Amino acid sequence: MNARVTPQDSALIRSARFRKEREADWRRLEDLVEKAEKNGLQNMDFAGTRDLASLYRQATTSLAIAREISLDKALLEYLEALTARAYLSVYAPQERLGGLVGRFITKSAPQAMRRSWFYILLGFLCMGLGALAGYLLYLENASWFYVFMPPEMAGGRGPDSTTAFLRSVIYDDDHSSSGLGAFATYLFSHNTRIAIFVFGLGVFACAPAFLLTFYNGLILGAFYALHVDRGLGWDLGGWLSIHGVTELSAICIACGGGMQLGMAVLFPGRNTRKEALRLAGKDAVKLAIVAAIMLVAAAILEGFFRQTVQDMWTRYLIGWTVGFGWLAWFMLGGRARQ
Amino acid sequence: MRSPAADVRKAQRLARKDRRAERGRAASTILPPEGVPLNLPVASIGVRLAAQIADVLITTVAAVCLVILFSALELTRPQTIMAIAMLLFFVIRVPYYILSELAWNGQTLGKRFLKIKVVAHNGGSLSTHALVLRNLMKEAEIFLPGTLLLTLDQESPVASWIALAWVAMAFAIPLMNPYRQRLGDILAGTHVIHLPQPILLKDLAGEAKPMTAAKPGAKGFAFLAHQLDHYGAFELQTLETLLRAQDKFMSPDVHARNRRTVATIVEKIRQKIGFADPIPPARAVEFLRSFYNAQRAHLEQRQLFGDKRADKHHAADETPQ
Repeated sequence: MNARVTPQDSALIRSARFRKEREADWRRLEDLVEKAEKNGLQNMDFAGTRDLASLYRQATTSLAIAREISLDKALLEYLEALTARAYLSVYAPQERLGGLVGRFITKSAPQAMRRSWFYILLGFLCMGLGALAGYLLYLENASWFYVFMPPEMAGGRGPDSTTAFLRSVIYDDDHSSSGLGAFATYLFSHNTRIAIFVFGLGVFACAPAFLLTFYNGLILGAFYALHVDRGLGWDLGGWLSIHGVTELSAICIACGGGMQLGMAVLFPGRNTRKEALRLAGKDAVKLAIVAAIMLVAAAILEGFFRQTVQDMWTRYLIGWTVGFGWLAWFMLGGRARQ
Repeated sequence: MRSPAADVRKAQRLARKDRRAERGRAASTILPPEGVPLNLPVASIGVRLAAQIADVLITTVAAVCLVILFSALELTRPQTIMAIAMLLFFVIRVPYYILSELAWNGQTLGKRFLKIKVVAHNGGSLSTHALVLRNLMKEAEIFLPGTLLLTLDQESPVASWIALAWVAMAFAIPLMNPYRQRLGDILAGTHVIHLPQPILLKDLAGEAKPMTAAKPGAKGFAFLAHQLDHYGAFELQTLETLLRAQDKFMSPDVHARNRRTVATIVEKIRQKIGFADPIPPARAVEFLRSFYNAQRAHLEQRQLFGDKRADKHHAADETPQ
């Protein structure tokens, strides 16, 4: 822009002249890049942003020329670094956070859920099969319960405990364990850990995710069979539905996401494994976020409502209403208007 | 005497080293949409680990402050304080990484301290999806096995082995690819680079003219074309580094050593190019500067005509007729 070539400069060698003509522009670009990095592109004035873009393109040209004509190492290194810095600030992400969350909820999450219906179905099948197996095994021999159930999860419940004790756990009127503390405790309970493992382990060729979900189903089936055995099947159903509909679906969805990653590793098709994993990750990560949202909702239900709502049918109503709410979101959200 | 087998092994080792260096060089090149490849060195595991530790410290301090606040307000009971602390740490750190990388264009505070940065692998701009993905995978890759390691007990050897395998995998994946990508980076299509620092040093060829003109009594050095045919770009740039070091402040000890080095180099160059006049020690640096100017002008001229000379062996590379 402001090249000053005086007669005495013409005595310089070509690359030194090249530098002298453009140095002022480079300095200005340096200033602009620093400003953009410090305050963000959004807060720069119009002239600054316009100059940043055009000076950046000039600098890339300068770099390309300098690589051909100059042997000055200092100049080459400077231009390289300057162009790289300018490139990084010109191509910075320019998205507003509010729009991001809104778009995820209204569009991309339900669309991703619909696209991966097959994997989610696999997840549900996995857990369903596990539950069926656990149920049948318990009916065959009650001591299977001890094989499946981790003792800290059973909380003293088992084939040996009395029906009255089982009923007292289901209809427990103890308010001491509700509120924020209980919410936090439930969020980091067994099921959340299972969900994270199921998703993360999916990358290792599906099998670990499949096995873990199946095992979780086994626990559920054996536990349910124990209560059916004592005539408490419907009561346990209510106790579980209030948060379980949400929580167990979250595990199945996480399993679906994990399987999607595993399938990309197992059957990459025409892509490389890395590329296939990257493509599968697009939907899988949305599934994981949906599962996380559902787990937080389940912890809220469990921490605040499970012990305060004592009526069995109200429990069913709340649990399944929330469940259908999720379903409606996944089925109806993000469809293009006709 | 060494056996031929040892020589072969050594040659193979060198070839492997060359290949690795080549891969490393290729990895540090990014092609922006403008089509001029840029050289951005990939950040090593050590630097990234340090940035990660800084970030963990920052988020932990924030979580601890909140826990203290909560217990001061008596919002928690002692039984649940651990669970709440875990929850707060989780609630703070997940958005922290995503939001800070979005706001600062691929840098968390820890990355800012260490001057490293996330870039898109394909040279485009960083997408939100990529940043969310790589930071969510961080949960599964780093924090989950980390917490697992902290809560291990001796009764469950299986869990310990799983945790060990997981941590080993988390470290092995970045070591196995030249971009040092962890799993989350692979999924998101990103990698981490060192932020380059643009520092413009003054042009040696630009300043040399006025300096010789300042001393009217002394005659400038003149070189003939055949005297400039001996060296290539590598030697020129080495000389440049030496000349730039002359401007720095030196202690008397270093100064004396530097003078001896310069005298040796001047002698070497004189013999190589056949420069007949003797150079007084007082004008040794001046001689090197004028030689640098003449040599650079000559080499750049040759380069413009398509004769690129990488180093002093350029003449040997041309196949003799």
